Amino acid sequence: MTQQLAEPASVGAPRAAPVGKKSVLRAAMPRYIAKRLAQSLLTLFLTLSTVFVLIRMAPGDPAYAMAGPLATSEDLARIRTDMGLDRSVFVQYLLYLKGLLRLDLGTSYSFQAPALDVVLGRLPYTITLAVAAILLTTVIAIPLGTWMARHADTRRELAANVVTIAGQSMPDFWTGLMLLTIFAVLLPILPSAGFTQWSSLVLPAVTVAVLQIALISRMVRREMVNSFASPYMTVARARGVSQRELTWRYAMRNSAIPVLTALGTRFASMLNGVVVVEVVFAWPGVGSLVVRALETRDYPLIQATVLVTAVLAILVQLLVDLCYPLLDPRVRLGKGTN
Amino acid sequence: MTTVTDDTERLRPSAVTAKDIARAGVTRRARDSRLKIWVGSICALVVILPVAFARVLPLPSPDATDLGARRLSPLTDGHLFGTDQLGRDLLARVLFGGQVSLTIGVLAVVVSGLIGLTLGSLAGYLGGWVDTVVSRLLEAQLSLPLLMMLLLVVALFGSSIPVITFVIAIAQWPEIARITRSLVLVEREKPYIDAARVLGLGKFATLVRHVLPNIIKAASLVVLLLLAQAVLLESALSYLGAGPQRPFATWGRIISDGQDYITTSWWLVTLPGLVIVLMVVGVNLLGDGLRDRTAGSSLRGFLKKFRPNRSGA
Repeated sequence: MTQQLAEPASVGAPRAAPVGKKSVLRAAMPRYIAKRLAQSLLTLFLTLSTVFVLIRMAPGDPAYAMAGPLATSEDLARIRTDMGLDRSVFVQYLLYLKGLLRLDLGTSYSFQAPALDVVLGRLPYTITLAVAAILLTTVIAIPLGTWMARHADTRRELAANVVTIAGQSMPDFWTGLMLLTIFAVLLPILPSAGFTQWSSLVLPAVTVAVLQIALISRMVRREMVNSFASPYMTVARARGVSQRELTWRYAMRNSAIPVLTALGTRFASMLNGVVVVEVVFAWPGVGSLVVRALETRDYPLIQATVLVTAVLAILVQLLVDLCYPLLDPRVRLGKGTN
Repeated sequence: MTTVTDDTERLRPSAVTAKDIARAGVTRRARDSRLKIWVGSICALVVILPVAFARVLPLPSPDATDLGARRLSPLTDGHLFGTDQLGRDLLARVLFGGQVSLTIGVLAVVVSGLIGLTLGSLAGYLGGWVDTVVSRLLEAQLSLPLLMMLLLVVALFGSSIPVITFVIAIAQWPEIARITRSLVLVEREKPYIDAARVLGLGKFATLVRHVLPNIIKAASLVVLLLLAQAVLLESALSYLGAGPQRPFATWGRIISDGQDYITTSWWLVTLPGLVIVLMVVGVNLLGDGLRDRTAGSSLRGFLKKFRPNRSGA
């Protein structure tokens, strides 16, 4: 025992097993991926079914909504047959699923074009905004949370804590309008609306990121405080590992998984924020589209938006989950830490 | 009893001075949490009280338009918050609109609390397929951008107060269900559950009469954070045009009405927003402070408060 302890020079950070091709593709991995894929498909299926049930339950006749107030009763009957509304609910559900499999989400009333194409045309803008916001969040929230953990329960940390509480208490549309007033109206240094040049991205991305930074930095703080209190940190400190190395190599590595999970699950709620912020800045993405569809009661378009954003969120979460094995050998070897 | 223990504490030699105790992290945390609770309550009450008593306060009607007094800046002609583009008193609009916003928030939290408590405790207590179904549902919902779905519901069913309340409750139940489930999972392994079973109590009776009373206090802390979120979600929905229109426009709607005049009349957007922020910061601070209170101190305070009553009764 004492001999082992007497060789501190060779003891470095808890070394992760080398991530080679072989270890990643070990037997546990395909099973893990299959499980995650099945969960994603289940989520997607639940979403699709919920949308179907909602549309079926809604008051009003969809055929009437489609034909407009001037349609004759023959027109209505024809539209009902076309839409399959005269068949049983179950058959309608199957028809709906069949349409989805052929990527047919109906025709947008206001654009007179396939709803899916309209949404997909706007999607790149939304993704750009979301990616910019995520990058900004990561760059600010992780160092901020780490700083808060290192100075936990001090006066300075209390101030930072209150600032993050304020950050998560501001309605994002209001934050956007305030930033707009300051940086586009009072000091006209940034463009206020639309997407004309890359600097247009700054204000919307900052607005979306404010809430995420507040939430993620608090999360990082909590995880890092737990890591700092762990016995392995005491041991490492006793061995004379520098504070910097303690923070980034020991505590960070062990906090990475919960933080990454949070970034993955927050992506869905961040898309919510993106929708609202797009409206504030007239950003030509999916969000401003869905609000226009809401005003014109363009159900196929709203439905297509629901599905496209759901698929996007599910894919992102799947990607994040597939990254775990690279960070945590326990997942790689099939010993999930759930 | 207490005096005796105090004496021994004083007599025991210790290297820890009073100053050390005052500097320790735990003491700091306790002091900070007390500060948060106080500041939070004050911030929240500054908004909630005027909103609750809006009818009693000497305010002009929120719907009384006066085209001669359009967009007056704050503090002119007795309009504390100024007037909007139709000459309506902004303070009155904010307070009366706040009644609708807060009612929806509270109702939504009650509904989501009921759904979440029921499903969460059933999932935790029964386990098996019930747990699988509820947990999968939770995960599915948390991984979806729900706002689009909520907008679809409002578009289909109309933006009445019950629909909006329901929509917000649906958005929020996973949070409380998850916490309830994890609390019940811990609680159901405790010996008193076995004792109840030995006494012949059924599964549901045990759950309702023994498990729930033991977790309700811990679970109820989330309610404040949920209330803050509900108010924010409602304001976002009504900003997007999916909020209730009657009887009064809510906070988000007031801001979206005012944003067309953002270059000339700053108060139309800034002041209603500040009211929301003040209220939500207050509720969040309060919730945070209550959660930070160390489990021991709150338990002791709780016992101190209730012991004399119990022995008297």
